Amino acid sequence: MTGRLRLPVSPLIGLTLGGTFTASGLAMLVCAAVGFLDGEAGPAFAVPGVVTTALGLALLIDAISPDQRSVNVTPVAGLLAVTLAWTLASVTGVVPLVAAGSFSSPLDAFFESVSGFTTTGATLLNDIDGQPQAVLVWRSLMQWLGGIGIVVLVVAIAPISGPGIQKAFYAETSSVTSDRLTPRIIDTAKIIAGIYLVLSVVAALAYLAAGMGVFDAINHSMTTIATGGFSTRSASIGAFDSVAVEIVAVVFMIVGAINFAFYWRAIRGKGLRPQSSEVLGFLGFIFGISMMVGVSLWLAGDSTGFGSTVIDSIFSVTTIVTTTGFTTADFDSWNSFARTGIVLAMFIGGCAGSTAGGIKVIRVMLLGKSAFQELQRQIKPTVVRVLRIGDHVYREEVRRAVLGFFLIYMIVYGFGVMAMAAGGLDPLTAFSAASATLNMIGPGIGEVGALESYEALSGFNRAVACVLMIAGRLEVFTVVALLAAAYDRFRSLRLVP
Amino acid sequence: MSVERMKALVIGAGEVGTNVARTLSADGHEVIVIESDPVRCEQARDELDALVIEGNGASPRILREQNAKSMDLLAAVTAIDEVNIAAAAVAHQLQVRTTVARVRDPDFFGQDGAFAKQLLGIDFVIDPDRAAASDISKAINLPGAVSVEYFGDGQLALAEVIVTESSPVAGIPLGARERPHPAFIVGISQKGVASLTRPGTVPQVGDHLLVTCAREYLRSAVAHLAGQVEEVKRAVIFGGGKIGLHLARQLEQSRIDTTILERDATRARVLAERVPGVTVLHDEGVSQESQASAGVAEADVFIACAGDDRSNLLAAMNGKRLGARISLATVSREEFTPLVDSLEIDAAFSPRLIAAEAILKFVHTTSVKGIHLHRSGFEAMELEVRPGAAIVGMAIGETHGLLRHCRVGAILSEDEVSIPGRGSQVSVGDRLLMLGPFGTMSEVERAFAGKR
Repeated sequence: MTGRLRLPVSPLIGLTLGGTFTASGLAMLVCAAVGFLDGEAGPAFAVPGVVTTALGLALLIDAISPDQRSVNVTPVAGLLAVTLAWTLASVTGVVPLVAAGSFSSPLDAFFESVSGFTTTGATLLNDIDGQPQAVLVWRSLMQWLGGIGIVVLVVAIAPISGPGIQKAFYAETSSVTSDRLTPRIIDTAKIIAGIYLVLSVVAALAYLAAGMGVFDAINHSMTTIATGGFSTRSASIGAFDSVAVEIVAVVFMIVGAINFAFYWRAIRGKGLRPQSSEVLGFLGFIFGISMMVGVSLWLAGDSTGFGSTVIDSIFSVTTIVTTTGFTTADFDSWNSFARTGIVLAMFIGGCAGSTAGGIKVIRVMLLGKSAFQELQRQIKPTVVRVLRIGDHVYREEVRRAVLGFFLIYMIVYGFGVMAMAAGGLDPLTAFSAASATLNMIGPGIGEVGALESYEALSGFNRAVACVLMIAGRLEVFTVVALLAAAYDRFRSLRLVP
Repeated sequence: MSVERMKALVIGAGEVGTNVARTLSADGHEVIVIESDPVRCEQARDELDALVIEGNGASPRILREQNAKSMDLLAAVTAIDEVNIAAAAVAHQLQVRTTVARVRDPDFFGQDGAFAKQLLGIDFVIDPDRAAASDISKAINLPGAVSVEYFGDGQLALAEVIVTESSPVAGIPLGARERPHPAFIVGISQKGVASLTRPGTVPQVGDHLLVTCAREYLRSAVAHLAGQVEEVKRAVIFGGGKIGLHLARQLEQSRIDTTILERDATRARVLAERVPGVTVLHDEGVSQESQASAGVAEADVFIACAGDDRSNLLAAMNGKRLGARISLATVSREEFTPLVDSLEIDAAFSPRLIAAEAILKFVHTTSVKGIHLHRSGFEAMELEVRPGAAIVGMAIGETHGLLRHCRVGAILSEDEVSIPGRGSQVSVGDRLLMLGPFGTMSEVERAFAGKR
């Protein structure tokens, strides 16, 4: 290369990191503006905001420059780019949180920021009400950016394309089968971003109508559509003590946890298969589990009246299944059946292609179907069954991929629980903390219960939680596949036996 | 290139379809690929920035679902003629603006292109075998060159010339180019490595030169660069399949003494019936003995174009060793193409790539302005200079900052071909032939970014 300094990064990584930093930096500048208006924490966001934006733009300009020779991007490069983007995005979030005085330990700030970008919603802040407005907006914006997906956002805005970007795009979005909406990936990203923006605005208006203040409505709309769960109040949605607000929250948590391709097809008047089966299954799960929890609350006498039992059980189940993590009732004080049900429901997650985490409804449905068919095969060994959901028939490779996904998910979960326990948590808390972070929910039960923060966790536990949150956001496979590739590389260098 | 955005349907994600789709989507067009094989679908999804749909591309239902009415182009390029014809006909009924079909069997249309056009509405029929045969015969008819491609409306030629011992440029550094000159050595491929020429580049025997010039100077320019090359008088064709048959016909017309080796007795009879002026030998053709008995040693050109890539490569190497002056092979599978440069073969032709190029070139004449062609590690692109493009008004000598890895190979202004000198200027409306090693065409975008 002649004449010009080249940054030593591959174009794909340059693009994703550049886009990530720019987005994160611009969000910090928004917070800085809020901070200056509010008179608190403005400089804490302005300085890192300018630096991060500048760094991001430099990487972007470098990567987009047309004299960049097109490179052959391997699948591993796509995985690496995405994992790096999410990790480093969280790193950028550390500086303002420490500078604004919200955290003294960078690790804690990193935890908060990972929890933000991955839309988990677990927090280490005890006094949320006392935080500067800029910090609150920053927590909401992190979740809002993380909800749609960093690469989706970058692809939608930056004029880039190519097979590498596509790989990164798919590494970040969850889908069982490819559901791209348009021939060009850029257009698909633009549509998703557009739908996301519109839904967020509608959610904010609905919160306003339900009686929230402007500041709270905007913040909560971002963290609701992103199924994130950060709140501007220590008592979360419970602080508003309003059934209207709770209903709006339930509706928009569900809206955020439905496949965005579903909305696109609905708008375009196209057939809603196969997403409609998943959406129905998703609503079915929420309804069924709410019923079970509600009945158990009624029978055990945990709740105070019929109305509050209904509303509490629906709200809590919705917030868990959509992996949001808002709280109203202290579900940790409920009976053992309800609490156990809540922990298991954490794994279901929202629909594929939404902002939610977890295993995803369609995979759970496919797993259930596979299990049932396997039983049938025991009885009638010669029976031929296809994997059919609604009127969509899935190929056998999809079955294999889903089973493989579930296996790896559970193995990662197992390691997560053991690591949590090794860090000194009791078994109940270890199970629920690993589940609440891997599935991107936030509050769990035990010492990380509905009304608690994650303060009970040791430094080691906090680090484990960060890994689980990022792995969960990237649907485990991305991170595990990257580790496997790294292991292969190391082995070929004979660094490990 | 972001010229006006086109919506294209590509039926079939084989080698032709993938290449067409890849080029179109790289140029910023919206591409939908329809493929019936699920495994190919997966590969295409991985590889292409395109919407890939599993299904039968000739199905009116599927085409309608993809909103065929709004499409600018349908290229039906599956391996099955009937599917392609049906898909193109359906697409025509659904008012797709332009339709292209890949049809191998000459029984369908043969010389009767008008039938396809008028009755079925297929705008362009491409037969990869015939296209490959005519590319090969074009090269054979131009002694010294291994391939020729025409640009503009055919008045600009791009030839690939092999440097021989008698070539006046062999071993002598290229001087700073004097201009105007009828021909321009744009690039050089040395041992398979493609690069642009610089003053001081020393062409060695066996190197391939990429040369642009006006069509009328082509013959003399190539003869000059290649040295004392004789006209091809004797040709031996290995393999009497479709390509072999087309080629034999064309060589017969050029009055070249041609022998075909065909291993199947029945096919050999068919060949003898259809091309009376050609000697047909019923022989397996790969071994040294059978080639020697066919007179390969005295042949000016040996062409291996049987159905199997491996036998073609082997036979072509054998032919070269026995003493054929030029040895050519057809290679269908893309995986083999990089291998060719390291073998003792003068050039390889890929029927499917040639077909993909022909389709892109046809599309270019109807709607888009930029096309890519791939030749021996080089990429070429013809495009029109739009108002506001960065390159307008610049002297070619000043464009180094803009075009670092590729260069302007020729300028076509008002049908006049000119070879760019340092002082030449480019003006709006000119058409340029851009050339560079593979993968460098992306920087062209910046030089031509202008008002849309």
